[in-house]
Amino acid sequence: MPKLIIDNREVTVPEGTNVLEAAQALDIVIPHFCYHEALGAVGSCRLCAMNFLEGPVEGLQMACMIKAEDGMVVSTVDEEAVELRSHVIEWAMTNHPHDCPVCDEGGECQLQDMTVAGGHSRRRFHGPKQTYINQELGPFIQQEKNRCITCYRCIRTYRDYCGGTDFGTFGSRNRICFGRFQDGRLESPFSGNLVDACPTGVFTNKVFRFKSRVWDLQEAPSICPHCSLGCSTIPGGRYRELQRVKPGINRETNGFFICDRGRFGYDHVNHPERPRQARLDGQQATVDAALTAAAQRVRQMVEQHGPDSVAFVGSARTSLEAGALLAEWAKRTGSPHLLFETHRERDRAARILVDRLGDRACSLAELQQSDLLLLIGTDLIAEGPMAALAVRQAVRAGAQVVVIDPRPIDLPCSCTHLPVGPERLPVFLDTLVTRKTEALTDAERNPLQALLEQLDAAKTPALLGGADLLGSRGISRLLDAAVALDNNERPVRVVGLLGGANSYGGALLTRSPRDFDTLVDDIQEGAIKALVCLESDPYRECFDPARAQAALGRLELLVSFDCTPNLAAQRADIFLPSRPVAEMAGSFINNEGRLQAFEQVIEPGISIRETSSGDHPPREFSLETPGALPRPAWQMLAQVLDLPGDLPAIRQQIATADERFDALTSLTADETGPRITDPVVLPDTAPDELPQCVPGETLPLLPVQGFAGSDWLAHLSAPLQPLEGEPTIWLHCDLAVRLGLAEQDQARLTTPLGHCHVTVRTSARMADNLVLVPHLWGTALEGLVPGGRHIDCRLEKEVNL
Amino acid sequence: MGLWRDIKGTLQPFWVTLGYLFKKPATIQYPEEKRTPPPRYRARIVLTRDPDGNERCVACHLCSAACPVDCISMQAAETEDGRRYAAWFRINFTRCIFCGFCAEACPTMAIQMTPDYEICDRDPLNLLHEKQDLLIDGCGKDEEYNFYRHSGIGVVNPRGGNADETPPVDPKALVP
Repeated sequence: MPKLIIDNREVTVPEGTNVLEAAQALDIVIPHFCYHEALGAVGSCRLCAMNFLEGPVEGLQMACMIKAEDGMVVSTVDEEAVELRSHVIEWAMTNHPHDCPVCDEGGECQLQDMTVAGGHSRRRFHGPKQTYINQELGPFIQQEKNRCITCYRCIRTYRDYCGGTDFGTFGSRNRICFGRFQDGRLESPFSGNLVDACPTGVFTNKVFRFKSRVWDLQEAPSICPHCSLGCSTIPGGRYRELQRVKPGINRETNGFFICDRGRFGYDHVNHPERPRQARLDGQQATVDAALTAAAQRVRQMVEQHGPDSVAFVGSARTSLEAGALLAEWAKRTGSPHLLFETHRERDRAARILVDRLGDRACSLAELQQSDLLLLIGTDLIAEGPMAALAVRQAVRAGAQVVVIDPRPIDLPCSCTHLPVGPERLPVFLDTLVTRKTEALTDAERNPLQALLEQLDAAKTPALLGGADLLGSRGISRLLDAAVALDNNERPVRVVGLLGGANSYGGALLTRSPRDFDTLVDDIQEGAIKALVCLESDPYRECFDPARAQAALGRLELLVSFDCTPNLAAQRADIFLPSRPVAEMAGSFINNEGRLQAFEQVIEPGISIRETSSGDHPPREFSLETPGALPRPAWQMLAQVLDLPGDLPAIRQQIATADERFDALTSLTADETGPRITDPVVLPDTAPDELPQCVPGETLPLLPVQGFAGSDWLAHLSAPLQPLEGEPTIWLHCDLAVRLGLAEQDQARLTTPLGHCHVTVRTSARMADNLVLVPHLWGTALEGLVPGGRHIDCRLEKEVNL
Repeated sequence: MGLWRDIKGTLQPFWVTLGYLFKKPATIQYPEEKRTPPPRYRARIVLTRDPDGNERCVACHLCSAACPVDCISMQAAETEDGRRYAAWFRINFTRCIFCGFCAEACPTMAIQMTPDYEICDRDPLNLLHEKQDLLIDGCGKDEEYNFYRHSGIGVVNPRGGNADETPPVDPKALVP
């Protein structure tokens, strides 16, 4: 631990820290551009100059390039250093345009801060300024090249950190600029990070363009609800409208960045069809009246037909507090039916993962330290994009990546991909456990043998699997494989990608050994007469939507708490408007068991963009906010249960009732969060077999998740619509040739669910004899839910007349 | 001593008052008579136009950030040619304290203080001035400044076409 003196103050820092970081540890503000905690230092901006007075290095040096060492005496306020810094920032400003009033970076412009910190206030250079022509970079990023100060942070973020390839440095000498070779959408799913990386306004958020100044935003630390990784975010809203999301800093999960789904998927909060009014038997009602009726009717149902006649179903986006209160409600009624996932395989997979994960849990920060990553049955870009970014960082540090998956996986890093059919996945998993390669084909044997050797040699290996494709049986075998591959020196870590933000928490709370499909049987037979849905959609987000919809029609009572216009909300006898993550405080448990709290960002209400008439906001005064009726689900459930309705009291109550959640009482939204592991109630039904796609007369069709369009909340977000695209299927090139289809052909897809028109995409990097279809809400592909067995389909080329 | 002081204190005001009977009164008969305040007097706030007749306000929010009583609110928007402007702009004159911070903060000379001090109304709602109430037809105190002719992002002139700019560079040029 080197000890050094900066500005006459002594500081001890960990080995390997640079002097700039050491100065920051003392809260000394030194201007810098090229240094970033995640990107490292390159010493190119020349701004962090300090004078090294004594020690191994002497003279004027760039602090970010010098490792802190014992005996160093450094001055940041030395005249020479201050003068150099002021000149450097003056040079950086020579071509910077005079457009701060119309620049969206205003308020969080690092260039502005550094210019002031560097002591430059008056322009002395009177020559003309250099200009550039801007590029059109798609729906997310707005470019203004004139503002560039060539710090290279965009390149280091987009290319080096995020692995994008369609962005680069152009020009020579003083004509350097950064962009794409041609106009077009930035293809990386992490493109939004350019906005945060750019210290000035070259890359700004196009969706947020001119909506607000950042100092006017209401902001609070929150958690991204779009996948199970639980990335930290900071949403910002103004005038009752959620307007943007920027990454929060959690060094254990997302670090400093987030994916575009998390960044631009916030708009479900402002969805024009969002239900904001409580309903009772089709009539508008007050929330209080609807809650009283819900409690009363559930009680009546239990009195008349016994506790078994009521079922309670939460979802993966239910906060832990609301989930625990739903469990309490189920307990008080005596009902044994309490689930937090309506998709039976996702439910089982989550419960098995939670039950067995234990110390094998691996945060994204730990994943970056792995030296061998085996991704089996998971498409990280769709199921947990930030995990793909963590995998890339591991590869940059020298790790090997092996992918076994039928999909044409696009990881932002180099990998060895074995595109095997889903029916081969169990064989591979078994081989990892038993090490017997007899069941493998000749083509598969060598790569797997090599993989086993790599796994034995690896010091920090990690296995990653997705709940959708592997199912509970696959997740279970993945954990078996981890046990089999363990040796004395090192454990094998496991990352399971689950269905939603609180899948893990839901699995911990689930008390019923049954899964949703067996409940559907009971509903069909009339044994279950009432269903309480907490932010879940059993009509569509289940294994077999057609069967569920037929059965759910027989319910005598459907109560739904939701903040989205889903089918359960539309068809409920009693509907209660709840709030999305940005409008309430609560907590989620992510896929590694990390309990994280989020705070309320904005109050609910219809934005004044919608309520304003003509060219100004309303001129009437009213004490009531339009559309402000939604309440947090935990508050409404507390009212049903006659408990105090404030969050600290609810958390206290949950922690008292269940010691696993002790940490809830002291949890704050800015901490990394403790891990919770505990055995859970496992499903008693036999798990599904892994998808067996045996080619026959018909083609096997396998629904999978896509980056945008498969997540319900992201689908409701208008900024992400351009990414959803048309209904698409993926075929292996050879299969396409056999079927007489070519890339971008229009085809007619026939499944037992009906017909639909799809665009054909082909790839040589995927499994043969298989049709992959990315799930897409709001289209004919909506009923093809990922996470199930394959279904049979036929494909015909459509002839354009 | 005390007695003399009291007598003087009683009579002197009468003497002073008597003297004023023969002087011209300082009071003016407002509202029939009106005084002209100096041009830099800080009263009614207006939004001015640039010499080309376009709105100067770019909705940068600096006035609302500077405002100590939070009486200014606005929403920025963009025209097709890239000009940032205020979709709506509201000053709540029931709150305004005429401190002039907004005019001082304005980087485009859009918001200016005028000597028109007669702002009162029985209905507070009439003192809630929208953009159309604030916008005047002239340049106000600055006859020349047009922000977009200096901003360097190409709205009034094509990119690189302003006086203090070079034409756009060709990043693919190979000339050393």
